[in-house]
Amino acid sequence: MGPEKGARLRGLALVLPALLLVAAFLLAPLALVVRYSLDVYDPASLMKGVFSAENYVKLVSDPFYLRVLVFTGEIAALSTAICLVLGYPVAYFISRSTSEKLRSFLIIITVLPLLMGNAVRAAAWMVIMGTKGLANAMMLGAGVIDEPLKILYTPTAVVIGLVSVLLPFTIITLQSVLDAIPGSLEEAGRSLGFSPLHTMFSVVMPLSVPGMLAAGAICFCLAMNAYATPVLIGGPSVHMMGPLVYQQISKVTNWPFGSALACVLMAVTLTMTVISTTILSRRYF
Amino acid sequence: MTFGRAVYLFFVALIMVFLVAPLGVIMWASFFADKILAFPPSGYTVAYYARAWQLADFSQGFMTSIQVAVCATVGSLLVGIPAALAIERLSVPARAAVREVLLAPMYVPAIVAGAAVYLYYIQFEIKTEFQLTATFLGLLIAHTLVGIPWTMRLVSASLVSNGGVAEEAAQSLGANALQTFFLVTLPVIRSGIIAAALFSFIASFTELELSLFLVGPGKTTLPIAIINYLEWNLDSTIAAVATVQIVIIGAALLVSDRFVNLGRDF
Amino acid sequence: MAGVELRSIRKTYGDLAAVDDVSLDIRDGELVALLGPSGCGKTTTLRAIAGFVQPTSGTVHFGERDVTALPVHKRNVGMVFQGYALFPHLNVSDNVRFGLRVRGWGKSRVAERVQRMLQWVQLEKLAHRRPRELSGGQQQRVALARAMAIEPDVLLLDEPFSALDAKLRQQMRTEIRQLQREAGITSVFVTHDQEEAMAIADRIGVMSHGKLEQLGSAQDLYQRPVSRFVAGFIGKCNFIEGRVAQAREFESRDGTRLAFTGSHAAGNAALCVRPEHLVLGPASEARGNRIPVTLKSATYLGPATEYELVTAAGDQLLVSASSAGGGVPREGTPLAVSWRPEDGFVVA
Repeated sequence: MGPEKGARLRGLALVLPALLLVAAFLLAPLALVVRYSLDVYDPASLMKGVFSAENYVKLVSDPFYLRVLVFTGEIAALSTAICLVLGYPVAYFISRSTSEKLRSFLIIITVLPLLMGNAVRAAAWMVIMGTKGLANAMMLGAGVIDEPLKILYTPTAVVIGLVSVLLPFTIITLQSVLDAIPGSLEEAGRSLGFSPLHTMFSVVMPLSVPGMLAAGAICFCLAMNAYATPVLIGGPSVHMMGPLVYQQISKVTNWPFGSALACVLMAVTLTMTVISTTILSRRYF
Repeated sequence: MTFGRAVYLFFVALIMVFLVAPLGVIMWASFFADKILAFPPSGYTVAYYARAWQLADFSQGFMTSIQVAVCATVGSLLVGIPAALAIERLSVPARAAVREVLLAPMYVPAIVAGAAVYLYYIQFEIKTEFQLTATFLGLLIAHTLVGIPWTMRLVSASLVSNGGVAEEAAQSLGANALQTFFLVTLPVIRSGIIAAALFSFIASFTELELSLFLVGPGKTTLPIAIINYLEWNLDSTIAAVATVQIVIIGAALLVSDRFVNLGRDF
Repeated sequence: MAGVELRSIRKTYGDLAAVDDVSLDIRDGELVALLGPSGCGKTTTLRAIAGFVQPTSGTVHFGERDVTALPVHKRNVGMVFQGYALFPHLNVSDNVRFGLRVRGWGKSRVAERVQRMLQWVQLEKLAHRRPRELSGGQQQRVALARAMAIEPDVLLLDEPFSALDAKLRQQMRTEIRQLQREAGITSVFVTHDQEEAMAIADRIGVMSHGKLEQLGSAQDLYQRPVSRFVAGFIGKCNFIEGRVAQAREFESRDGTRLAFTGSHAAGNAALCVRPEHLVLGPASEARGNRIPVTLKSATYLGPATEYELVTAAGDQLLVSASSAGGGVPREGTPLAVSWRPEDGFVVA
């Protein structure tokens, strides 16, 4: 056995434990979920053990569930759009910042809230948006309103909460895309007579469109799959896919239907991920 | 400084405040004296921290979260470091595919993974009579999965940026494979390993949707305890718990900032 | 210590032959350079000697021993890598000590050897510095000390000077040559810089497309290249296309008969003359082999002036003449280049 063959076996041996772990406890379970999604719910035995597409049919034909699906998509799309609009200027600022220290500082601040976890962040927004929360207290105190506004437990609140979760991802993704676009292009634009703002719009932005699409795809997926924010900030009247999956599987124990919902989420996520990875890998620079 | 530029800077600052303010607000609120959370507070106290610890859910959740995070980090390093080494330094059949599989836990939505693992565990219990749902082991396995992509990414990055030449030099000087690994490779990727440990720990400690399905009475994690509490109450107690989580994560970041330049890793 | 011998080494990657039937015999204590453009196979050949590359066929010998099947860490080679590959987490003396630790030498023996090595490369004062605190030249000396500390049978250097600036390059290559001579160790180094190779190597192996074109001293390569590639790669060369008409007689494309010494098979070939051997002057004054030419340009380079010329047959010629001599004859005078027959050689 030559040294090259031996190296291949050693490589395989080292990779096997991780591979088996992921295959056994992630891939196999996912396969199970796909299988269940095609099964039919039975209150007595939980599942009948047949093959049927009725769960998927139910999702798109039942007005309530269809509404949940569409609503989730709408909220995700809106949050994504807002993130892109707010995140781009910030990403541009960080990317073009000349001070290394400022750059590091801004990146750390952007990433910090991300690392704290969704539960903590949702809790923080509840404190701010509640009827006795900070926002209302400040507005009442300033005389802007007479009575506390109902901010919490509305779709608006969910969007705000999601944006605060997604914005860091957007900023970091866009910032790395913008980093790849050389500053010399903007200098060329300026030397040709464009103002800084005009240069950004006509030179940099068109080149960053692929990056924006990729960042948008990531955002959309994260928003669509969200759990903590819709549950805590949306309250009982707001229904989104993430909490629905949990409810169907854990509380209602309708595993087939819950699995179908999960599969839909998985499919959309997979599509978006493939799209954004392909876009990001075909850089212009 | 033109007016336009000033507006731009103000806007950027505003967004930064938007991102960070919630954390500041909840840390502030953890010290409010009133029973019901209201602004402005009538006074300040640290009593709610003590109260939080007395609630079984929180103290138990905290302990479980710490234990699971530490064990899961160790686990993901134990399987992830050899895998990263194999992929970057040795030849592995279907390298790209293997790498994608190992990064998969990062791409699967947590809520989907949680449901899937839960249903799988139940089947496992039915077939083998060995319980995994609502157990430490069940949580540990799932959290290790969460850490693997982080370990892969960060250790691979370290291996790639340090090239393989130092290892060739070691071989030319007479070191065999094992000696090369311990004397050269390991020290050189030290910062990658520390970063991997850090992010695996944080990912596990703050993990929510996956654990949602896998916790049970007496075996819950801190983030889930927080969510459960919040569905009924909003007061300084929960603010205190949230602040504790923030402080722990912050400390973990500070510790590893000594070893790793965090601004660079993103 | 002993010489190194490569017998018919072949290394293929799929359809591509990176090294194509290379045989090389390096004498004990000799410094041989493997020279060629990128992609010619010189680095692969060096790595085959080291053991990082397993030849598809052929064998590697250190003296009497066949080491082809031996893994790298058992071959006892000292190697200086292109970027030096110093261990970033160890200081200078720990870097030098590395190979000795691995061999299990006793503490005092190690300390003594490390001290001697550092003195040899004049770095004793920097023993506790980390690689990142050292300059390029210093790093290279550490790499050399580290490689030599283990008392290797062969010293291998992979483009050792490419990361240094021009001045340092000259200085380091003389130093390394000296150190190598003192140690008397068989050495092979890879480079794409012919001036470097000619300056310090005992013999040079010119490689192209995986093949060893010629192995010889700098003089052999310059004065008696065996192929068009070698003639053109080492120094500048003028090629006059045509064919060998008969023994010692070359016929250019426009029929001019030119004499040459040496022998070559009949058939299409090129007659080569080095620029410094061509004399440019009025056609009427030309002696020996001569060809009428038209002047295209003259470039003053300080000590020499280069003239670009073209013959009636279309061959481009370059003449390098000392600027101290006379200039170009008046405008309108018919010009010719001439040279002594023994200064020309024929290649295929």
